[in-house]
Amino acid sequence: MHNTRYTLIFTLILTIVSATILSLLFFGTKDRADLAAKIFEKRAILSSVNTLLDKDVSKMTDQEVLDVFNNQVQEEAVDTKGNQIEQSQILAAGYKGGLPEDIDMAKERKKPEDQRMYPVYVFDNKGEKVYILSIRGNGLWDEIWGNVAVKNDFNTIVGASFDHKGETPGLGAEIKDNPAFSAKFRGKELYNDQGNYISVQVVKGGVKDPPHQIDAISGATITSNGVSEMMFRGIKEYEAYFNKQKG
Amino acid sequence: MAEATVKEAVIEKEPFFGKKEKKLLTDPLNDNNPITVQVLGICSALAVTSLVYPSIVMAIAVTLVVAFSNLFTSMLRTYIPKQVRMIVQLVIIATLVTVVELILKAFNYAIWKQLSVFIGLIITNCIVMGRLEAFAMANKPWRSFLDGIGNGLGYGGILVIIAIIRELFGKGTLFAGSPAAMNIIGPSNEITKYWINTASDHGVGAWFGSWYLNNNLMVLSSASIFIIGIIIWIHRSVNKKLVDIS
Amino acid sequence: MDFINIFIKSAFIENMILAYFLGMCSYLAVSKSIKTAFGLGLAVIFVLGITIPINWLINEYLLGENGIFHTDLTFLRFILFIAVIASMVQLVEMVIEKFSPALYTSLGIFLPLITVNCAILGGSLFMVSREYNFTQSVAFGLGGGFGWFLAIVAIAAIREKMRYSQVPAPLRGLGMAFILTGLMGIAFMSLMGIDPAALAGK
Repeated sequence: MHNTRYTLIFTLILTIVSATILSLLFFGTKDRADLAAKIFEKRAILSSVNTLLDKDVSKMTDQEVLDVFNNQVQEEAVDTKGNQIEQSQILAAGYKGGLPEDIDMAKERKKPEDQRMYPVYVFDNKGEKVYILSIRGNGLWDEIWGNVAVKNDFNTIVGASFDHKGETPGLGAEIKDNPAFSAKFRGKELYNDQGNYISVQVVKGGVKDPPHQIDAISGATITSNGVSEMMFRGIKEYEAYFNKQKG
Repeated sequence: MAEATVKEAVIEKEPFFGKKEKKLLTDPLNDNNPITVQVLGICSALAVTSLVYPSIVMAIAVTLVVAFSNLFTSMLRTYIPKQVRMIVQLVIIATLVTVVELILKAFNYAIWKQLSVFIGLIITNCIVMGRLEAFAMANKPWRSFLDGIGNGLGYGGILVIIAIIRELFGKGTLFAGSPAAMNIIGPSNEITKYWINTASDHGVGAWFGSWYLNNNLMVLSSASIFIIGIIIWIHRSVNKKLVDIS
Repeated sequence: MDFINIFIKSAFIENMILAYFLGMCSYLAVSKSIKTAFGLGLAVIFVLGITIPINWLINEYLLGENGIFHTDLTFLRFILFIAVIASMVQLVEMVIEKFSPALYTSLGIFLPLITVNCAILGGSLFMVSREYNFTQSVAFGLGGGFGWFLAIVAIAAIREKMRYSQVPAPLRGLGMAFILTGLMGIAFMSLMGIDPAALAGK
């Protein structure tokens, strides 16, 4: 039998060895992991304008994603009154890096409305501007979020992509997993003929108003309602920005 | 230290990769399969099996963790103090799992995101602990390593079989999300998108199109447990000596 | 209200066993009789209820960037979590042995098993990934434990009855337990219709 002192020394050495290995590996891979996380986000943003790209986003290499983003996308940050937000303000809000892409929508949602800031990704589609907006809401279990690309008439949706934290696989998770769901948003309109904002609703049991409604996912009512709510409220918060851009 | 000297005194002359070593690799694939016979490691098996690609990554991760934790534990087996045996084993496993996680996060972020908490759960995957206790604490490093590989593959094999069934019948694709993604069966306006296009009006696809729909049950997590149940059923019907008598 | 909300959600709707299949090893091994299942279930509630809040504190004040070291030490998360779980299980075991020998004799043999129960570590990891606060993590621990308890007692009761049924030989025991668990999982999915927010609102 080993005595207590031996046990202590053995445990100590083991702990130090494993902590050293892990910290070396962690700090060695940190930059790469951070870059990978950014590319993952950028892929999601670009997949909302997938139809306008030369190559399918899911088939692009990491470098291609970064290239498209650097060459064709301009980032802006705006507040709910539609004013541009400077880098210094983003830094002051606690986002390291200070770029609009560093803004954490989950944190912004918890702030009072007049203090929120939102990123806008202006995508250059061969000279024509497409505005990609970030929205966030609640699904059945947890948060859901998405990127919606709007034409420069600030009415027609070019495409959308969604993601979620913990929706049920096969039901709510279809908003992300089933490309047919986000494809339904293409060509939908935010404003009706009278110019009133109504956004796009996800409805059960048949679409009655085709420019503003899409079919719900069967078996995922709460997630579908969450998407409707997010599409309405999330895009509405960009309305002031739309009006400023329209002049 | 007395135990150590006794064990080292008995120098066994064995081939580097003989019959016994081969058995260590093949046994867990059938007679002693970790999932269907030993009933170990089911927890993390089920939640990731809705797609094949993450299941393969998971299988590789588990195999590496079992093999290397077996190896290291076996190397340290005479030095590990008995009172803290379990903690020491857990530290070794947790370190290896963290290594796997950090590497995945840096080199395959999308899969890391998909597997999320289930990578961490490899630590408590009973296969790992089970093999350490049952094998590595009593055997030499090389053989423990092989035992780990064998068990990892036996586990991964079942994982991938379940995932293939679930993804093919649930989504009509295979290896979705990987560079080798294949669309097998489903409706599409582009004829070339699926091997069997149920939206086409001629050929095999047209016949399938009249009645086939993706089975949504397969996407639910309960499907994996039914499939394991059925695999056990088939396995035990073929291999009669495994039948539960109790 | 948050407390009740998360408790209900983690106990019934996102049941650890029936929705995530965590802790299956001990769940299958110890569900042959109701009595032992009951004991293990209680022990799991106990350990989950303690370890999740402790791991929350560790994650927040030791590992995070706002913790006492001001560096991102998340790579130590797995090691620390499992160490906390193992030592808590040991501590609980010692305390119970000392103060309630009767409870110890009924729980004793299961306690060491709990360290490697996926549900315990899984609970802590879910708590991190879902970004719960302290009260929420207490609720999640208790609720998750209660859900686990419920599931293992239910399957044990069914398995006791199954002994008198004509099950095909190769499916006997393990195979049938799997299929039953799958059916229970589907049955529990019907509880997804509960909207915890609306429930808490009333």
